Order: sequence, then C-alpha cells, then structure tokens
Amino acid sequence: MGKILLGRYVPGDSVVHHMDSRAKLILSFFFIIIIFLANNWQSYVLLFILTIGSIMAAKVNFGFFIKGVRPLIWLILFTVLLQVFFSSGGTVFWKWGPFNLSYYGLINGAYVFCRFVLIIFMSTLLTLTTAPLEIADALEKLMMPLKKIKVPVYEISLMLSIALRFVPTLMDETAKIMNAQRSRGVNFGEGSIMQQIKSVIPLLVPLFVSSFNRAEELATAMEARGYRGGEGRTKYRVHYWHTGDTVGCVIFVAVMIILLFVRHW
Amino acid sequence: MAIIFKAVNYTYQPNTPFEQQALSDVSVEIPSGSYTALIGHTGSGKSTFLQHLNGLLRPTSGEIQIGKQVINAETKNKQLGELRKHVGVVFQFPEAQLFEETVIKDIAFAPKNFGKTEEEAEVIARRMAHQVGLDDDLLVKSPFELSGGQMRRVAIAGILAMEPEVLVLDEPTAGLDPKGRLEMMRMFKRLKDEQNLTVILVTHQMDDVANYADNVIVLEEGKMIANGTPSEIFSQPDWLVAHHLALPKAGEFTLELEQKTGIKFSTLPLTEFSLAQKIASLLHGGDVNHG
Repeated sequence: MGKILLGRYVPGDSVVHHMDSRAKLILSFFFIIIIFLANNWQSYVLLFILTIGSIMAAKVNFGFFIKGVRPLIWLILFTVLLQVFFSSGGTVFWKWGPFNLSYYGLINGAYVFCRFVLIIFMSTLLTLTTAPLEIADALEKLMMPLKKIKVPVYEISLMLSIALRFVPTLMDETAKIMNAQRSRGVNFGEGSIMQQIKSVIPLLVPLFVSSFNRAEELATAMEARGYRGGEGRTKYRVHYWHTGDTVGCVIFVAVMIILLFVRHW
Repeated sequence: MAIIFKAVNYTYQPNTPFEQQALSDVSVEIPSGSYTALIGHTGSGKSTFLQHLNGLLRPTSGEIQIGKQVINAETKNKQLGELRKHVGVVFQFPEAQLFEETVIKDIAFAPKNFGKTEEEAEVIARRMAHQVGLDDDLLVKSPFELSGGQMRRVAIAGILAMEPEVLVLDEPTAGLDPKGRLEMMRMFKRLKDEQNLTVILVTHQMDDVANYADNVIVLEEGKMIANGTPSEIFSQPDWLVAHHLALPKAGEFTLELEQKTGIKFSTLPLTEFSLAQKIASLLHGGDVNHG
C-alpha cells in the first residue's frame, strides 16, 4: 500500500505547487485528451518534453515518477503485448496462429507504452503537487455549471471531500485491523482462492462496522456544528487565478497547436 | 520467552519521499517472565517496536531473537505463523477487530486458526470469557450488541485464547472507566503470575508502570534512551521532564511534600502503597533524615 505514489500529496514550494488547483485539474484533463492526438514519434517527443518540463517546474525528484509507474507495469506490459501481437499491417516478421509480430504492431505497442507513461506521469504530478481537498474544491467549482441541469453539486462535492479526507484514515484502519487479525492467525493472501476469499471476511466486517459508526458520529458532529445542507454556505478556501495559471494554459494550448502540425493526418 | 533485540533498525517506506526511520539501533533484552513497560512520547516508535514482537514488521537491519526463533530482514512470512502462536498482541482499541456472529465464535477464532478443533477452541473460549469476566448469557450474543467495555473484554479474551507465552498490550485501558481500568490491569497481573507470562505493556500511565512493571524501556525518536527498573527510571525527575515523561502521582506528591516540609525520604516512593508505608513509618519516627 505504501509503495503507490499515485494519488499522494507531497507539500512543496514551486511554481506548480502554487498554481490554482482548477488550472491544474483542467490542464491534466486537457493533457490526457491531447495525448490521443499524438500519432508519430515527433509528437510523442513533444509531449515528453512538456511532461518533463512540468515535472522540473514542480521540483519533484524524477525518481519518484519512475517508481510511480512500477506498480502498474504489469497492466502496461499486458496492454502493450496485446497491441504488439494482435495488430496487423506493414511488414510481418513472425506469425503463429492468431499471433503475429508486425511492424505496425511494434509501433503501436511503443505508442501505447508512451501514452501510459505520460498519463501516469502527469496524473502523479497533479496529485503530488495538489492537496486532495484542493482537488475536491476545484471539482466543485468546475461542476458549478451543472447546477443548471439539477445536478446536486454541493452534495457531490461534500461527499467527495469527505471521501478524500477519509481515504488515509480508512487505509490506516485497514492496516490496523489486518495486523490485529494476522496476530490472531489469519494469513492474508495465502492458500487457495477459497481460503483467500474467506480470509478477507475478518477484515471486511470490522471495516464496514467501523465505517458505519464513523459515518454516524460524523453526521452528528456536523449537525451539532450547524450544517444544514450545501445551499447558502460561504467558502473558507478561495481560489485565485494567477498569471502563472494563464501562462500554464497558454503553454499547453501552444503545445497542442504544434502537435496538430507535427501529427500525421 | 526471552526477547532480545540486537541493533534493530526499522525504516518505513524506504527510498520514497515518505521515508521515515522509526527505530534506530535498538538493542535491548526483555527477560522471560518479566513485566516490561514500554514508555515514551507520542511518535517515539513504541507501536513500531511492538509490531516487531510477533513479526508483523521485520527489522530493516539487525535481528530479534524471540525464544528460539530469530527474525531478521530475510525471514520469510511462512516462518512467522509459529511465532504468532506464542506472542499474543492486544492492539489499541482491540474491539475494532471483532467480526464473528457470536461472542464465543469470535473468541474461538484465533485458537481455530492455530490448529485447534472446533470443540477444543470452544472450551478454551469459554474459559477465557470467564477469565475476563464475561457472563455466560453474553456468549451467544453478537459482539456488536455489547457495550464498549464488554467488547474490549471479548477482544482481549480472543487474544488470551491463543494461550500465548508473551502478552503484548498496547494501551489496553485507553478509553475505559476507572473501574474497568483497574479490573483490567489487575487481571493482566493475575494472568502473568498464574501462567508465568512475559508481559509487555505500552502505556502513558506512569502509575501503571510503577504499580505493575518490573522493567521499563524508554524510547525517544526511535532510540532507546533508558532501560531499567521503575525505581531507576523514576529516580531523576529532571531527566524525566527533559524527555517529556512524568513521575507517578505518588512520586510527585512526595517531591512536593519534601519541598513544603523539608523532610527528606531515603528513597522516592512510586506507588500509593509504598508512600503510605513511608508516611506511617515517618509518624513512628523512622526512615527519614530531617533536613
């Protein structure tokens, strides 16, 4: 659990850390979309330059990103291998039943690999430099237009911020209960599939029970402090759009325009 | 079972931005059959220390000898099952570990995991439920129907049912009322004496340390800064303050009494009982130097 870097926040002091969380969120989405525009090596080089530039601007150790990819490496390799062995076209180097190793397959595999790495790098960068609650706040702000079509934006964002807030707490709780049950002789992740499923029960039941208790206590505490629903509340954390945010957006849009020129049509 | 730590280091999440050394170069021996108290400021590494006692954590370097078993960085998970049978750990707020349909099943869970048959486990479970003072009519209830104090008892009985030789207690009385606290602490003491257990108690209650422990380990920022009997540890009030610790109440009272009256006691009484004895003998004119 402790090895996964994706989704964790490291406080820091850099251009990227001080950016508006709305800007960062929009840029991350934007980036994921423009990744799918890239379709030749020049465009991937361009995107890598942008990504590495952003990472350098955030002054985060590059090694952390490599480690962030590691837990997902099997998923990536699986997808890449599917691409490599099942795409056809171009020179065929090797063929066996439904499998074939073709020029296009290899190229596509390499592209899929680049896409994965770029997406993981950028989203790791987003979560490493933005506190979870800021992300929830930014989402609330960005969802505001949806209020027009009766989406309960306040409630969704409240649930989101509570959920985010309790992720680490629940992780700790899980680790604690796991340790307690291990001490009582449960072997997690060992034995046959049936045994493994059974061994999860002593973990899941207490976790659910404690979540129910926690929810009840939290609701009571919120009511006692005068919470009566999202409508008409004021905000403690206020977003400010700085020049840096505009510069960031301009850079990303510029990259997209260059990308449109260098890609194959 | 004697427990020997040899130059144990432990680092959480090594080689990440969250790297944190929780134990550094801890060497200590916990004698078999002792009642050892582990004290220290919050975040001093106490919980990390006790997770090493039954192999939930393995040292990043150094080694731990528990009975005949040696644990070091290379020890495999498979070898630890046997160890966990002998070392029972009562974690903080252990009522969070209850999950079975009935109290009796929950208590019998650990012995069944360690190879007892259904019937044997139930016999042990009944005996342990009595040990911790649970009534028979509670045994068929769901653990989630019980009060907080009763749930705590069930959880503790669930650990005792493993019939461990080493009992590790992480603040077992936190959140209990004074009566429950006293009963619980007396029960541990009784179990220790009856079954010759080695007890390791993590606590912030200096009175419990003075009343029950015969050996004290003090941790600070992952290092062991003192190890000795309670009277040795509590003999230097200034040192205690410097390390965010305190004297037991009887000790503090004695210091104040000495200051106010000018009477000097030959040794610092640490429990109410020894304080009362000293004052009684003082009234009879012995054991004091008039200063």
